[in-house]
Amino acid sequence: MTNRRAQLGMTMFLTAEAVFFFLLVLAFAYFREIPALIAPRVWLCTVLLLASTLSMWRGTAGSGLWLWVTIAIGVAFLLDQAVFFGTTFFILAGIHGLHLLAGLIALAMGPISALRAIALYWYFFTAVWLAIVLVAYFWGAA
Amino acid sequence: MTSWLCAIDHKRIGILYMLSALLFFLAGGMEAMVMRAQLAAPNLKLITPEIYNQMFTMHGTTMIFLVAMPVLTGFGVYLVPLMIGANEMALPRLGALSFWLQFFGGILLYFSFATGAAPSAGWFSYAPLSEKAFSPGVGLDYWALALLMIAAGSIGSAINLIATIATERAPGMTMRLVPLFVWMTLVTSIMIVFALPALAASLVMLLSDRMLQARFFDPSQGGAPLLWQHYFWIFGHPEVYIVVLPAFGMISEIIPVFSRKPIFGYPFVATSTVAIAFLSYGVWVHHMFAVALGRNFLAVFAAASMLIAVPTGMKIFSWIATMWGGSIRFTTAMLFAVAFLLEFTVGGLSGVAFATVPVDWQMTDTYFVVAHIHYVLLGGTVFALLAGVHYWFPKFSGRMLDEKLGRWSFWLIVLGFNTAFFVQHFLGLLGMTRRVYTYPNLPWFGALNLISTIGAAILVFGILLFCANIAMSLFFGSVAGDDPWNAWTLEWAASSPPALQNFAHPPEVRSRRPLWDRKHPETADWMRV
Repeated sequence: MTNRRAQLGMTMFLTAEAVFFFLLVLAFAYFREIPALIAPRVWLCTVLLLASTLSMWRGTAGSGLWLWVTIAIGVAFLLDQAVFFGTTFFILAGIHGLHLLAGLIALAMGPISALRAIALYWYFFTAVWLAIVLVAYFWGAA
Repeated sequence: MTSWLCAIDHKRIGILYMLSALLFFLAGGMEAMVMRAQLAAPNLKLITPEIYNQMFTMHGTTMIFLVAMPVLTGFGVYLVPLMIGANEMALPRLGALSFWLQFFGGILLYFSFATGAAPSAGWFSYAPLSEKAFSPGVGLDYWALALLMIAAGSIGSAINLIATIATERAPGMTMRLVPLFVWMTLVTSIMIVFALPALAASLVMLLSDRMLQARFFDPSQGGAPLLWQHYFWIFGHPEVYIVVLPAFGMISEIIPVFSRKPIFGYPFVATSTVAIAFLSYGVWVHHMFAVALGRNFLAVFAAASMLIAVPTGMKIFSWIATMWGGSIRFTTAMLFAVAFLLEFTVGGLSGVAFATVPVDWQMTDTYFVVAHIHYVLLGGTVFALLAGVHYWFPKFSGRMLDEKLGRWSFWLIVLGFNTAFFVQHFLGLLGMTRRVYTYPNLPWFGALNLISTIGAAILVFGILLFCANIAMSLFFGSVAGDDPWNAWTLEWAASSPPALQNFAHPPEVRSRRPLWDRKHPETADWMRV
């Protein structure tokens, strides 16, 4: 029952976040402030994040070790993201990164009963990153 | 003291919301009175234009974000679990977090006064005025950061209310049986989840412009000030309904009880709320008619704006039809509810006038807008809230409010409110622009403004009398008992004030009036259907 409340609460929160990121990405796309992300490090970022969803998925199946793997990959992603530092795009990437940082802290310190809700959060922000990369690929400024 | 600071019980959180809203209401009221004093006569120079700009910015921001939203959230957090027969909110700690985010957001906003530069770009802070080049002070940074905190708090409490209504209802209480206040709180909360992020996104972009040298809204560097207007009003128009729908919910509870008749057309009242919610996302451009956006574009938004009058009108007719043929008891709560019907209708009608594009072009940014918004938010939301306070105070405190004082404050508030704001329609038609700290001695301007200021003073007197009534009744009011109004919904089945555990046994729900069924088992509602 507790889990159902937490899941529902998290779903509503992510709905709000979806509106927030939709409008932000829309504004960045409108101003062509998303660079065409073709650097290898961007693809490394994306691959890392995708790998972390896999380890998260394994972790929710009951393995604590996989959760620490997820945290490690998440930290690597955040460090890799610093490549954008100093560009306008970093505002968007940074806001996304701050959300991931919050997710990592929740993962490291949150109660195990909230794990499914945290996993939902993690998948969502992976999807947000993929959306940003897709917009960059098709619409990014050269 | 500590027990209040660390409270997670929904009743305490609800009371905290209401008290903090009252505190900021007094602050916002004082700001309004400073403005009315300055406007009492032509060419007055009581305060500087800069201070005047700070006053209207803080007044608007305070009344919307620190009074209307939190007090309605407070009623929701207090009443929803009781009305659906639950003992607690679904996510109690999120409830506490949301309140303190909201409260400290307010403190942060008011701290800007201590820096000597309160924000002064109006409550919707249009770009590029809000950019660093034109608002160099830190006031606007305080404004944006405070609103970000308040937005986060509002979203948190909305999520909590949604989860509560979805998971905590008493056995038997389907969504067709929940009280209308719960329905409207649910719809409002969903609207908050979809609307407040638009405000947050706008604020993040504004802060990026001001602090990180971004250029979203700066036209000299390729930015688009109109983007701020679009994003702000995508939040801002649903916001109007966010602060009025729960008030509709209160009216839908109060009028039936004091008319001794069930609400007329429950499904219509509930579904018209959903219709309003959908439509409210398609009308934001009516705040931007003065921008040259193209005729067809404007026509679509004008039509959508007028369309909202249909579900809103359905509600008004439902309330009138509920009273029709009922045996009406004119308690102070009912007086405020009936006054709400009249005042809100005036505000609604001037709103329909504004939906007509040429009328808007003539009247935008005049005192006609000021009159309209105050008839909606004061005549609508605040009158419903005052009805709600008089109705539920016995439940909150265990004591009755004094009816005689209540009547005095009611008539003073009605007289003061209409005197203060009705004349502003005429000022707007005469062409007096809003947000200007003084005005030349044109025909009628001085007289009408003086009438408005006198009305505002009467209104303040009425509000103070209302506050005195609350303070005195808290200690000397007659003991209320559990169900002083002979009402029907479940909050009146709990004790007054309710114990920490609202209900010792989960209540049985088989109709929309579970308490009526319990009191009159031989003519229970569920036997008739």
